[in-house]
Amino acid sequence: MTDHEKIDGLLAGYVLRSLTGEDASEADRLLTDHVPDCADCRETLTDFQAVSAELALGVDPVAPPDTLLPRLHRELEPRERRPRGLATLAVAASVAAVIGLTGTFLQGQRIDSRQSRVDALARMFRFAQENDARMVSVGPATQVAATGTDEFFLFGENVPAPPPGTVYAVWVESGGTVRYVGWFYPDPDGWVVRRYSIGGGPYERLFVTIEAAEGVPLVPGEVAWERTA
Amino acid sequence: MVAGCEDGAVQDAAREDLELHRRLLAGDVGAFDDLYERYSGVSYGLAYRLTGQQMLAQDVVHDAFLALWRAPEAFDPARGTLRTFFLSLVHHRAVDTVRKEQRMRDRNERAANLEPVAVEDPSESVVDRAYLGVRRREVREALRSLSDDQRQVLQMAYFGGMTQAQIAERLEIPLGTVKTRTLAAMRKLRGLLEAPV
Repeated sequence: MTDHEKIDGLLAGYVLRSLTGEDASEADRLLTDHVPDCADCRETLTDFQAVSAELALGVDPVAPPDTLLPRLHRELEPRERRPRGLATLAVAASVAAVIGLTGTFLQGQRIDSRQSRVDALARMFRFAQENDARMVSVGPATQVAATGTDEFFLFGENVPAPPPGTVYAVWVESGGTVRYVGWFYPDPDGWVVRRYSIGGGPYERLFVTIEAAEGVPLVPGEVAWERTA
Repeated sequence: MVAGCEDGAVQDAAREDLELHRRLLAGDVGAFDDLYERYSGVSYGLAYRLTGQQMLAQDVVHDAFLALWRAPEAFDPARGTLRTFFLSLVHHRAVDTVRKEQRMRDRNERAANLEPVAVEDPSESVVDRAYLGVRRREVREALRSLSDDQRQVLQMAYFGGMTQAQIAERLEIPLGTVKTRTLAAMRKLRGLLEAPV
């Protein structure tokens, strides 16, 4: 059995949620250490996940009780009406001050309705503070990164939406090897705040392409934006 | 594989899902309702199949939709369709529920075939949206194409929520055989169910 034969077997068990013991530990290790850097394994994992989800169609659909949607609605409301906490506002204001944001972001109404954005910005702010991060432009977005961490953030305002059916894909290049690290899609206000976790050590280049919003891109398409030193 | 116009219907549905996800990111309750209308039937059917109890199935679907609402950014459009993401979420939660409840033995008997569960009286069946009906036929054909051995381990894992070790014990076969059959089944389904998704 080749290594990849064994890995495929673990990935199959993983997507079915049927691994235990050493197999589960081994799968977790592979998903952290190997799969992110292996195009074949990423493709296999994506395909197996799709197969696993499609198996749901192997049973007949059944209408849930009529009470379920109203029950959900009652629990959705807090997100829209969540009160604005002083601590959150303080962090948001700090973020805005540090990264130089002005205008619409600080209008209270928008903070209320964009709580998740504020939360993401707060996380980014903490990351920047704790890691003495630097900021570099990547087209209309900005990368917040720090030496010695496997994470970075991208944020931006007035980021144009990509063409229908596509998303922005983020790539890094190291020693001639290009790796896909994730995606982003601006919200309706043109905002992007997203964290990326990468393995594989330092990289020299970071760039963004526009890719079809289906499946993991294996080869980068035309570069839309590139990090400028 | 489906032909021409059916491919288009499935891909259109994926694009519509993407738009609904974009609206969900903005906190649009209307988009949430549209997704509920699309996927509550298939989700509840799956959850009910795994858990065998209406209350548990309802909790699974409830938790999955609430998770989607609270963290829509967890879905990465570059890694597949929203349907794949969401149905995986439902399945994982259903499996976790089954294991928590530790009532697998009885349920596995029912999970060993693809006939509708009849122990409890479920809510009324629903009619698929057209594109899901197309895909449903493909999935069932693909499952029928597996060998009996492959189908058995896959169904025990997916619809029964059993671990590979439990399957080996139940069937009295080596764990390695379960792994081999599972991988063979998944590879065959991967080929048969390749895009559009």
